[in-house]
Amino acid sequence: MKSLLKLTNVNSYYGKIRALNNLSLEINEGEIVALLGSNGAGKSTTLKTISGLIKPKSGEIEWNGQSLVGVPPHKIVESGIIHVPEGRRIFGGLTITENLELGAFTFRKNKKWVKEGIERSFDLFPRLKERAKQPAGTLSGGEQQMLAISRGLMGDPKLLMLDEPSMGLAPIIVQEIMRIIKEINKQGTTILLIEQNAKAALRLANRGYLIEIGNIILHDTADVLREDDKIIKAYLGA
Amino acid sequence: MDVFLQIFFDGLVIGAFYSLIALGYTMVYGIIKLLNFAHGDFYMLGAFIGYALLSFFTGDGGLNAGLLGIGAVFIVTMIIVGLAGMGVERIAYRPLLTAPRLSILITAIGVSLSLEYASMIGWGASYKVYPIKLPKNGLEIIGAQISFAQIGLIVLSALLMIGLRLFIEKTIYGKAMRAIALDQAACSLMGINVYRIISLTFFIGAFLAAGAGIMSGVYYGTINFMMGFIIGLKAFTAAVLGGIGNITGAMIGGLVLGLVESYGTYYLGGSWKDVLAFGILILFLVFKPTGILGAKEMERM
Repeated sequence: MKSLLKLTNVNSYYGKIRALNNLSLEINEGEIVALLGSNGAGKSTTLKTISGLIKPKSGEIEWNGQSLVGVPPHKIVESGIIHVPEGRRIFGGLTITENLELGAFTFRKNKKWVKEGIERSFDLFPRLKERAKQPAGTLSGGEQQMLAISRGLMGDPKLLMLDEPSMGLAPIIVQEIMRIIKEINKQGTTILLIEQNAKAALRLANRGYLIEIGNIILHDTADVLREDDKIIKAYLGA
Repeated sequence: MDVFLQIFFDGLVIGAFYSLIALGYTMVYGIIKLLNFAHGDFYMLGAFIGYALLSFFTGDGGLNAGLLGIGAVFIVTMIIVGLAGMGVERIAYRPLLTAPRLSILITAIGVSLSLEYASMIGWGASYKVYPIKLPKNGLEIIGAQISFAQIGLIVLSALLMIGLRLFIEKTIYGKAMRAIALDQAACSLMGINVYRIISLTFFIGAFLAAGAGIMSGVYYGTINFMMGFIIGLKAFTAAVLGGIGNITGAMIGGLVLGLVESYGTYYLGGSWKDVLAFGILILFLVFKPTGILGAKEMERM
């Protein structure tokens, strides 16, 4: 398998507080990789560092053989890494269609792509189509998450990073979201997934990393992690 | 009735100037939460650069430049001042975007003074007479006079505002502006170069203010390096009146303020003009700080 993204000894800070401590991880093409850990362990910081919202103090981030350190976020998006942030962060005052159009900002000159992308999103989530002209803020939590994922896909990601897509959603919606993530992966997009719901994440993922205080303390295939005592105790319930 | 209507027309013209300037105020506030106190000076800069170009092209000030020439001067001036707006953002504001709010606010006042006194050095402190005069003839509507020039200024302002509306509503850059006003980091994650869109916002704001600047030069006939100061504060008032951060609000706020001032001047006397404007500002800040449209329209831009 071809390595797509490789983090080596990355250190990131919030002011003086070190959030990532010599973190290393690797994602191969076509995988779903789960990033597990408790609140404040550094999962979101890892994604923000990859997408350029936080610049690491030291360490190397290699994407398709090129360094991403110091590259501004919009350039990283152009290179094919798309980060769907925690809490969905949809533009509540803009319509659903406008949200999707902005997701395709890097393709703004390609009207055909934007149009087809919107149609594809509506095929994936028919519920969005019914409300295309409504402000996105009027959507339910699950629908907002669907919009956030579709908006991410509008930028044609090679790697899609999802930060807690199931947060605050009813179990039945979580199932649907997980199904869609699997579907997106099957169509060729590599996925890095953060989940509180470790059970659901490990059912979906090929491999998983467990992160604690900004450092990877465990990584293995999802099958092995599901049986790991530490994971079971901490995240899956005994 | 004729007097009432007459004042209405006069108020509309002044209101249109206020609206055009208030738009820049409100857009910049919407996108980076800065009250750009230097904004009125782009209006002054527009008036002066328009003056310089017109003087250059029309020689001693005849009308021989023709409508086409005047139109070209308009557009060139607005673009030059728009670029100046971008320059100010790049040099003075961008390094402070992540600094505490107060630093950037004080910087705005510094920029304002720099622009004013740079113009004074360049063009002198005395009043300058605009090189073109508008013809006085016009229409009579139920006893009230409205000149063709006034109609022209109102129409031109309306066109600029409609153009802006379309830009904000329909183009991807306008949508990006509205999105940045809501969530800057999320915009970066869409591949939007946030700084470039902020820069574009300054361009448009200064562009519109410059348009108002030349129009007022043509309309009133004289310009001065301090002309942007009071009108900047008035436009700020208009923006607050409409609901700061709200585009439609700025347009309405400007017109309302223009009308209130004209009627106030007629019925109470000219010395009450500023008292009325800033009295309204205080009343709104105390009783309805969200402005006329602020609470209703949730989307801020």
